[in-house]
Amino acid sequence: MSALSAVSISIQRRFGRQRLRKILLGSIPFLVMIGVWHANTVFEWLPPVFIPSIGDVWEAIFFLQEDCAGFVPLIMLDNSCLMSTHILSSVGRVILAAIIGLPFGIAFGILAGMNRTVSKFLEPVGVFANSISGIAWIPLAIVWFGVGWVTTLFIMLNTIFWLMFFNSMLGVRSVARVYEQSVLTMGGSRWDVIRQVYLPGAMPSIITGMRMSMGFGWRALIAAEMIGGDSGLGFMIFTSAAEFKIEEVFLGVIVIAVIFMATDRYLLAPLEKWTVERWGLVWKPT
Amino acid sequence: MNAVSAKLVVEGLSHHYPDEYTGESVHALEDINLELYEGELVSVVGPSGCGKSTLLNILAGLLPYKVGTASVDGNIIDGPGPDRGVVFQEHAILPWRTVAKNIGHGLEIRGILKSERDRRVQEFIDLVGLTGFEDKYPHELSGGMKQRCQVARTLCSDPVVMLMDEPFAAVDAQTRITLQEELNRIAQATQKTILFITHSVDEAAFLADRCLVFSARPGQLKEIVEINIPREKRIWADMNNDPDFITARDRILKSVREEVSVAKEE
Repeated sequence: MSALSAVSISIQRRFGRQRLRKILLGSIPFLVMIGVWHANTVFEWLPPVFIPSIGDVWEAIFFLQEDCAGFVPLIMLDNSCLMSTHILSSVGRVILAAIIGLPFGIAFGILAGMNRTVSKFLEPVGVFANSISGIAWIPLAIVWFGVGWVTTLFIMLNTIFWLMFFNSMLGVRSVARVYEQSVLTMGGSRWDVIRQVYLPGAMPSIITGMRMSMGFGWRALIAAEMIGGDSGLGFMIFTSAAEFKIEEVFLGVIVIAVIFMATDRYLLAPLEKWTVERWGLVWKPT
Repeated sequence: MNAVSAKLVVEGLSHHYPDEYTGESVHALEDINLELYEGELVSVVGPSGCGKSTLLNILAGLLPYKVGTASVDGNIIDGPGPDRGVVFQEHAILPWRTVAKNIGHGLEIRGILKSERDRRVQEFIDLVGLTGFEDKYPHELSGGMKQRCQVARTLCSDPVVMLMDEPFAAVDAQTRITLQEELNRIAQATQKTILFITHSVDEAAFLADRCLVFSARPGQLKEIVEINIPREKRIWADMNNDPDFITARDRILKSVREEVSVAKEE
């Protein structure tokens, strides 16, 4: 047996055939992109002012972080630690917006799902708010709140809340009535029904809502930071482009995507696995 | 009539409801009177649309009623309550709870301590033959096991009356026979007072001490058939040759068929 096939078998044992296939298939487009990108640098189809080399983008991280004098200025979002400051301010806003927007969206969504009066009251204004894309609020938000934290947070909350609201509402409406009835006939209260039936029953929709609202919210944030922010990855991309620092623009774009992919994979996907997949509420892809 | 031991009493119950699509008033039940005594299993059969499910929903407290009275242990029914346990036709155990947590759900709602709860839950898991499946989720169970789990859940809450709404209608024929024999054994072991709604004449005759035949809409109590076969003798292999069973079944069948033809002519 050749050494290569021995390695292949041991890798398959370690990760499992299906998972390995998934990882391999998923990484092919990225490998192609990186290959074309590197080929461009080698063959100079487009000059580095348009597309920087992979090495330049990599070095930009250290350049931006060069003056950073340690851990304290890093977490204090000091301007000497530019890379981490931009990342942390964007991530901080996302976390803040998620902490406020998700629970409120879920709570009002569940309420509207179980109560016709509440849904009649909130649905039209929700459709109205949802039809205005997040970024359309930016000019108004700047007039109201000025450039900075409040504007970016407002834009995100607007996106997160309404998406979460609609998904939770539909989720509650999709729960079979018989679950509610069975809890009531065991002597359960309204509150028992909310906690033990509506919330878990709406979980598939709620998780979809979380994925959507975090995705759209993150995009809205980047746009908001470009126009109405004074820090963050969107701000970094925008100002770097104005100064023709193309490698920093590339870096910013890649970091944005990587952060979102990591959130989805290590936070939202495990949540899905531990709830709705375990309960058999979704079809598992084979 | 012995009012002391009548667990469930229905007097002069009539019910109309608006049709979901046309909005026209549907006359579902007319002047229903019945009494369920302690430890009795009473089945209700009738043509489809005769209001038997409406009756069960009213008794469960899930459907408000205006005309007549219904009471359990002397308490007028005006909403759902733990004194009446319901076994639904659909799979009603919660998919996000394990078998054990589903069965202990009623006790959990009542705030029974975990140690006491676990002991009672295990007792009913063993009774319905789900031993070894305590930590499984419902989607890992077969249709028959889900219904066993539902029966155990209802029994574990120890209701005064157990209401069963065609609980075995959705399982395959072989499983249904097993479940019927098991319910017979459980009824004997627990001495529960049970109202059992079904559209299957065989099932009604096999399980019941008394079988109530409902007329076509509006549902009225048409006939009561007594079945005096001891529970320990009720096994399907023997029943098909048991003269008492055959007599009772044929009488119920004849009575129901008259109503089905009435319903068709309308």
